[in-house]
Amino acid sequence: MMMELTTRHFRQQSASACRDSNLRAVLDHATRYFMGKRGAALEAFAGRDEHFARARSARLNALSRLPDLLEELERNATAAGVKVHWAADAAEARAIITGIAKAANVRVIVKGKSMVTEEIELNPALEAAGADVWETDLGEFIVQLAGEPPSHIIAPAIHKSRAEVAELFAEKLNLHGQSIPELTLLAREALREKFLCADMGITGANMAVAETGSVILVENEGNIRMSTTCPPVHVALMSLEKVAATMQDAADILRVLPRSATGQKMSSYVSVLTGPRKEGETDGAREMHLVILDNGRSEVLADPVLREALACFRCGACLNSCPVYQTIGGHAYGSVYSGPIGTLLSSLLLPQDLTRDLPFGCTLCGACARTCPLGINHPKLMLALRQRVANGRANPVSSAHSLLARHPLAYRLAVGVARTLDPNLHLLPRLPGMPGLSEFVDSRRPPELKKPFAARRRKTKREQKQ
Amino acid sequence: MSATQSRAAILDTLRKGLAAAPFFADAPPARPASISVGPDAWELLAGVLGPLEVRLRLARTPAEAAVHVADIARERQAATYTRWDAALNALNLPGGFDAALSSLERLEPGCCQNLARADLGFVLAHAALLESGSLAVVAAPGQHRSASLLPPASVVLVPRNALLPDVSHLPALLNRHRLPAGALPACLNLITGPSSTADIELVLVRGVHGPGTLDVIGLDWDV
Repeated sequence: MMMELTTRHFRQQSASACRDSNLRAVLDHATRYFMGKRGAALEAFAGRDEHFARARSARLNALSRLPDLLEELERNATAAGVKVHWAADAAEARAIITGIAKAANVRVIVKGKSMVTEEIELNPALEAAGADVWETDLGEFIVQLAGEPPSHIIAPAIHKSRAEVAELFAEKLNLHGQSIPELTLLAREALREKFLCADMGITGANMAVAETGSVILVENEGNIRMSTTCPPVHVALMSLEKVAATMQDAADILRVLPRSATGQKMSSYVSVLTGPRKEGETDGAREMHLVILDNGRSEVLADPVLREALACFRCGACLNSCPVYQTIGGHAYGSVYSGPIGTLLSSLLLPQDLTRDLPFGCTLCGACARTCPLGINHPKLMLALRQRVANGRANPVSSAHSLLARHPLAYRLAVGVARTLDPNLHLLPRLPGMPGLSEFVDSRRPPELKKPFAARRRKTKREQKQ
Repeated sequence: MSATQSRAAILDTLRKGLAAAPFFADAPPARPASISVGPDAWELLAGVLGPLEVRLRLARTPAEAAVHVADIARERQAATYTRWDAALNALNLPGGFDAALSSLERLEPGCCQNLARADLGFVLAHAALLESGSLAVVAAPGQHRSASLLPPASVVLVPRNALLPDVSHLPALLNRHRLPAGALPACLNLITGPSSTADIELVLVRGVHGPGTLDVIGLDWDV
């Protein structure tokens, strides 16, 4: 059983992840794989910059008219036969969905991959209500069996080796396989049984289109199609910023999202669902629900800088390009959302006292902003979050360091004193009456203070003469 | 909070936020020109399907299409199949669509359990996008969604007049399939290659939940 990961312990979790050489190797392979695929796809993408700009415009346009579009979505989805629900927070969303499950006397639930259902911790609530809940995306299925959270937006079980998966299947399912195709087939057979007997399918929503009331779902495995085709009830949970004004905007986004996520021109399956099955159809859900979740997002819209984070469509490219994510992986963030965009979302959606350290887990190198197809400026937002954490007050130790750095003579004097009295900086953090000094020095790991260059040169010359 | 209160509170917070910090999105640049659908359209489609491990077989006549249907059933070693009804009947294959599959058992559509043992599924594409190789299929009575999902092998027939440049045609495509009362179809799927996953060690495996193989028969006449 792994220790519980939280955003509060980001520093310790990061330090621990840095020491895990297996994790580093897996992350190195995975992030290179995704960036390689993505790079090749974008290289061959004619009119790439215009398509990116159109996708950004579609997202920002939706945010700029969000309340009106949500009302329009509600009207059109309702007209198409969808039952629309509004949830102010995670508890309300859980209550709505467990309520739907109870009303439909649901016993078996199949789920498509959805970060937002992880965000609201839906599975334990459904299980407590007596339902048998199955994650059906292969990666999510693996981490569910392992009792772990997903570690990447696109590849949730990126941290698991085939041997670990084989062991897990043998232990939890009594199914035995070795090769990756064998293991995949075992998962197909085990989950096919669940799809065929499921009473309810739960998915997220990559987008919902205000103009038509449609929910759009993007995937590669077919598990989301299964979850919306076989069970009689389908519940889509959507965080409120995922609206697109028109089907044309949605099409502009579909042009960019798969390419940026996995380097595919289009994901294997895109489903455009507009209401439950029509009369005369023999499959598809008879009952369709759309749950619109706020959970802190509506407050963010008032912030002219930070609201840009709401434009994200979760392609995951910023994770793969981030040197911090490449080093520590997804679990260390202690949140459903990891990497640069995860830092921003967690900081905006969770209480500030739990996420103080997150925006400092960034080198401000700007790789994420250069990678983001929607032009989100993560470092700028990261600095705004740091200011918010500092609440306008500078750390006195940082101020002192900054003062020294701006005055070379004073800096040399201070370094000279430190070099004489405490060359390894072991004593400095223990100075009494200097709150925050220990943390400041620890987090920077300064190298041993060497003697000045001139002194070392003189010494070398002396030795040569001798 | 009650559901009505939550709805009102969310919309109110959003409106106050936008009033406090107005938000203007720049107008987007013009969409780059789409590729044209010309005489080389089938070649373009074959070229984009190839890397997805999807083979395009072109039929000049209904008789050739029937041969392709029978060939695919043999190659996939299928014993049972499910298919769309009127849409495929309208292709006027010699002797009817099922004649090419006379040695196989046809499973009638119903709930998904009924089709769990189907080896092959046949559907008609309402569009094929040349840029991405995506095949659009629209659900309706007699056009069940599970036909292109449950069987391990899927076959999509693509008429010549279904060839379109790219996904920017999605809104027009949906509008074309509005029901008489004006409602949109309940489900449109874009299918781009077989079902796939790379969730274990990033090794690509075809056919995790949906079909592991996808065959396309191009019908080189307007349907």
